[in-house]
Amino acid sequence: MEILYLIIPISVILIFLIIWVFLWAVKHGQFDDMEGPAHRILMDDDSSHTEPSEEKRSNEA
Amino acid sequence: MCCRGCQAVAEAIVAGGLADYYRHRTAKSGTAAPDAADVVPEWLRQAKLYDLPEVQQSFVRQETGEVREASLILEGIVCAACVWLNEQHLSGLPGVLSVEINYSTHRARVRWDNSRIKLSEILHAVAEIGYTAHPFDPGRQEQIFLKERQAALRRLFIAGIGMMQVMMYAIPAYVAGGDGTMPPWIENIMRWASLVLTLPVVGYSAWPFFLGAWRDLRLRQAGMDVPVALGIGAAFSASVYSTVTGGGEVYFDSITMFVFFLLTGRFLEMGARRKAADAAEKLVKMLPAMASRLPAYPGDQTDELVAVSSLSSGEYLLVRPGESVPADGVVAQGVSRVDESLLTGESRPVPKNVGEKLIAGTINVDSPLVMQIEGLGQDTVLSGIVRLLDRALAEKPALAQVADRVASWFVLALLLVAAGTGVAWYFIEPARALWITVAVLVVSCPCALSLATPAALTAATGSLTRLGLLTTRGHALETLAMATHFVFDKTGTLTSGKMSLLETITLGDIGRNRCLAMAAALERASEHAIANAIAAAAADCEDRFSIEETTNLPGSGIEGRIGGQRYRLGRPAFVAELCGTPVPDALLHGRESATVVALGSENGWLALFALGDTLRPDAASLIKGLQQRGKTVVLLSGDQEEAVQQVAQQLGITEVHAAMTPQGKLDYVRGLQREGAVVAMVGDGVNDAPVLAAAGVSIAMGGGTQVARASADMILLSERLFHLLAGVDISLKTSRIIRQNLAWAFIYNLIAIPLAALGHVTPWMAGIGMSASSLMVVLNALRLVEPDAGKGRK
Amino acid sequence: MEAQTTYNYKVVRQFAIMTVVWGIVGMLVGVIIAAELIWPQMSFDLPWLTFGRLRPLHTNAVIFAFGGCGLFAASYYVVQRTCHARLISDGLAAFTFWGWQVVILAAAITLPLGYTSSKEYAELEWPIDILITVIWVVYAIVFFGTIMKRKTSHIYVANWFFGAYIITIALLHIVNNAELPVSFLGMKSYSAYAGVQDAMVQWWYGHNAVGFFLTTAFLGMMYYFVPKQAGRPVYSYRLSVVHFWALIFTYMWAGPHHLHYTALPDWTQSLGMVFSLILLAPSWGGMINGIMTLSGAWHKLRTDPILKFLVTSLSFYGMSTFEGPMMSIKTVNALSHYTDWTVGHVHSGALGWVSMVTIGSMYYLIPRLFGREQMHSIKLVTAHFWVATIGVVLYIAALWISGVMQGLMWRAVNADGTLTYSFAEAVKMVYPFYTIRLVGGVLFLTGMLIMAYNVYKTVAGSRAVDDAAIPAPAGAHA
Repeated sequence: MEILYLIIPISVILIFLIIWVFLWAVKHGQFDDMEGPAHRILMDDDSSHTEPSEEKRSNEA
Repeated sequence: MCCRGCQAVAEAIVAGGLADYYRHRTAKSGTAAPDAADVVPEWLRQAKLYDLPEVQQSFVRQETGEVREASLILEGIVCAACVWLNEQHLSGLPGVLSVEINYSTHRARVRWDNSRIKLSEILHAVAEIGYTAHPFDPGRQEQIFLKERQAALRRLFIAGIGMMQVMMYAIPAYVAGGDGTMPPWIENIMRWASLVLTLPVVGYSAWPFFLGAWRDLRLRQAGMDVPVALGIGAAFSASVYSTVTGGGEVYFDSITMFVFFLLTGRFLEMGARRKAADAAEKLVKMLPAMASRLPAYPGDQTDELVAVSSLSSGEYLLVRPGESVPADGVVAQGVSRVDESLLTGESRPVPKNVGEKLIAGTINVDSPLVMQIEGLGQDTVLSGIVRLLDRALAEKPALAQVADRVASWFVLALLLVAAGTGVAWYFIEPARALWITVAVLVVSCPCALSLATPAALTAATGSLTRLGLLTTRGHALETLAMATHFVFDKTGTLTSGKMSLLETITLGDIGRNRCLAMAAALERASEHAIANAIAAAAADCEDRFSIEETTNLPGSGIEGRIGGQRYRLGRPAFVAELCGTPVPDALLHGRESATVVALGSENGWLALFALGDTLRPDAASLIKGLQQRGKTVVLLSGDQEEAVQQVAQQLGITEVHAAMTPQGKLDYVRGLQREGAVVAMVGDGVNDAPVLAAAGVSIAMGGGTQVARASADMILLSERLFHLLAGVDISLKTSRIIRQNLAWAFIYNLIAIPLAALGHVTPWMAGIGMSASSLMVVLNALRLVEPDAGKGRK
Repeated sequence: MEAQTTYNYKVVRQFAIMTVVWGIVGMLVGVIIAAELIWPQMSFDLPWLTFGRLRPLHTNAVIFAFGGCGLFAASYYVVQRTCHARLISDGLAAFTFWGWQVVILAAAITLPLGYTSSKEYAELEWPIDILITVIWVVYAIVFFGTIMKRKTSHIYVANWFFGAYIITIALLHIVNNAELPVSFLGMKSYSAYAGVQDAMVQWWYGHNAVGFFLTTAFLGMMYYFVPKQAGRPVYSYRLSVVHFWALIFTYMWAGPHHLHYTALPDWTQSLGMVFSLILLAPSWGGMINGIMTLSGAWHKLRTDPILKFLVTSLSFYGMSTFEGPMMSIKTVNALSHYTDWTVGHVHSGALGWVSMVTIGSMYYLIPRLFGREQMHSIKLVTAHFWVATIGVVLYIAALWISGVMQGLMWRAVNADGTLTYSFAEAVKMVYPFYTIRLVGGVLFLTGMLIMAYNVYKTVAGSRAVDDAAIPAPAGAHA
């Protein structure tokens, strides 16, 4: 099981990398708004018509 | 469309290619244009002043060159589509570099190039589409909480990921359990890896506990942090020693789990506190940033528009009708009425004469006033209230203080037991002494104790907040459960506090509706409660009258001409002068509790309008519910006997006291308390503030005065009295659950510590015991989470 | 000079189309080898048509060609649209496309020819491994580079899933494929690991290939396309973020559950078991989040077949992520290991979850890439859905039965300790179920053919969209 000499250190380094990424995310306010992004993607209009606001003025939900 | 204002808004939305707004919005923008006659708020007329450097000082940050950044609060946001609309509209303006709006807090961060666009234009743009933007001074609680939350999140994450990984390294050893399938070198490498990962958990995540313990020791207190710090410290040192020497036991998994659970408890607690503070913060309105100064008063009456921050005490200001009073002061010239709902919750304006005090933030209603400044900025009454609020929120809840005292005893006992164990084992079997002592310290998990209360409080507070009952002080829940007497104020609490038309008695030939329409026409210029009530009642009347020449006599009424004839509306005595005949007294009889407004012309009496306050819809069911739960209900009011008795009878309250002064109310409550009662006080006015503070637990109505809300322990934001009853039930349940949690925590420790002292607890057992007991406490507390009462998903 | 006001749809289109193509190819090979298990003579004694050589072609084709192209398409699309930024380099993106196709073709050629490292899901030999590494590094550059130049400050949760999978696959690929080449034309290499060490690394790779390639990455796809198609925001965005980090914490070490009752030390096996069970929680959190996104829009399920695909995929995801941990329990594994139940489990995840979420997402994507409002025929999409679902159900039901039967028959012992059944007897018992499995597979393949036709009709005569505008403030600069 000498492979553990490889796997365990890799896992430790990986953990520190993950921590670093998380700290970066906190610092850059990635967790400050936990509601907005879910709505934003819906506001992003990717339909293939050029006049999306003229189309479908139907009421939804 | 209700008015041209809304039409303009809609046109602007569609013209900007933003018609998607209508497709996506999930709520009607009821607040976008609250008053059809006043679409553009008064402050916008002076919006240009927001461009002044002195004004921008507190909320605008200057970046390189002409780039500036400001934080704004947005009002009128009712759903996600509103946010999107604002972002799109603003980012389309030339000169605006970026717009970012936080959906949960409604704070906007705008960056713009000041050489291409001014802040006032940006604020105008927001108003254009029907919303309001206030500059926001981020130096308040908001920023502090954000930093706190981020730090807590970091600590929690590191503890969490450390826990998961160390658990992974620990399990093999437990499973192999010395059966020979795990050679020592593997166990060794696992231990070293665990050590490396536990280091940041102990050194960074657990740091607050060490700091707290150090502080406690310096003050010679035995707080909860002491055993925690001791346990972590001892376990870690022992584990490091084991790892380095290759023998003994390691507790890295217990340590990381320990820290993680404790931090979770604190995080939950902080979250609850923040929610309460957030809601409270929304209650604080901005003081006006501009004022009209009279530099050469009294000689010269010319005024200049300046920033409030540049004013000094003793200067003279001009406050026009409709404007907010910018500072505390005294009236130097003029007679008017001032809307002090900020303090009194009553929209009926208070008459002000020369020499009378003015309070910053209140609104001048009738005529221009000249005032001399006495208090500015931090010295104003308003700021004092805000400070009160801040202090209240920063205070440690009483319950936590109680828990701390309990903990002291627990800690001392634990330390004694641990020391004793160590000494005892030293004589019995020295090799195991250290490990057993560590086991005792670790297994005694104060986490159940320290999680017991916050978990329950968080869950309960969350449930209550969703109902609209905001808790601003920690002890409120527990005291509410213990309350024996419920004391109510009348006006604004049990009643809506607003005037509405109760009855119309016609005295002449003109029909009810025409009379109403006439009265409404006469009152059109006025803003106070009576006018609103009449206007509301007259809304359905088809007649519309145009008035020539209105004269307003404050305190008496209004006189005006309709079609050449003179009419008067106001106090019966005032109208009597015009009619020529005396007040029809007989008709006034039996209506003493109502406010009577008369309408008459030169030809005689036309009508009497009886206006009064109406009971809140669920007042009766609340009183009944409280009485069913064995609580004594008391009605204390400053109003006259008849009015108060009428309300009491309608609601079934037998203990009634009318015409009470604030001091009288205070004495009464103190009297009750001397007899051993726990008093819950429900009120809304500034005259209730002292009593609210004195009562065991106090609840202020959401629409009440700032002072009342600041003095109260809970705020009924929903203004639905029924929710108060639900609140009482939840508080009872919370008390029960907290007691259960504490009992469990004690029982657990009572079993676990002796076991550990006798040497039966291994590290993995300590870990499991600890997490299981914490989990039970949290799960129990979750029973307090009530499903959402009609609010959307979260 | 690239127009920085539009998105790069071209590379998305290329990958999207190839997803359908390779789906058909990979599943066709699957059908062939399923048939070969019933009629071994179907290899016609040609070495390159034998089961042993075609199976890795099947697994590589469906996972990396079909799944891979789907992920490339989705990740390139989602990262652009949620960051309001065009891919940082059209050239590099194009390289990933053409490079990936070369990898697939190389696999299609070398695997039947017998060039194999014999490590599961990592059979491709060293030159192709190197090519994959290069492409993957470029992929990472394009993806993360685009995130770095984003105009939105918040990075949408789907991108976190994509980012994690990209980094993890790089790590897994490099570590597991550490090998010493010994011949160039013969494409022969020796693994850096041997024996039980190799097994450990291999299944650390193998399980995480499933865990990060087939789960995490497709969860990213799900978190974008489900809300978009349903027109509802993710049920709890907060949960999606927590879900992501919880998955990161726990997934890495479930590998040993593939090695129960092998030479791997007992404690390692137990470790794998414990973590596989812990994995249940975050997985189901994600599933619930995805399914509950439909609250307020359940009625759309009746008429929208794309939503049917997406929701069904989530249900299968939930099922598989429950089945998996159950199977990782040693006592259960004692029955299931090496049986068809494992194959059934793989396919409930691969067909039920991965394929369906990919199909649903492609049906959403393709019309938009070609300027059409929707697919040429919604009826055909519905037909595809039912055909596919029935196919999956037949497939996994058949293999559940055959798997459990195998397990029971193989372990049955007589009173004197001898085996009750010979291996051949067990084979004979499960034979009929192989036929049912083949039918299921053929149905699923048929569904893909229906999709190909529908895609063709949608694309033919349409205008490729290259002018999808990036929303940007007028006159603003970064």
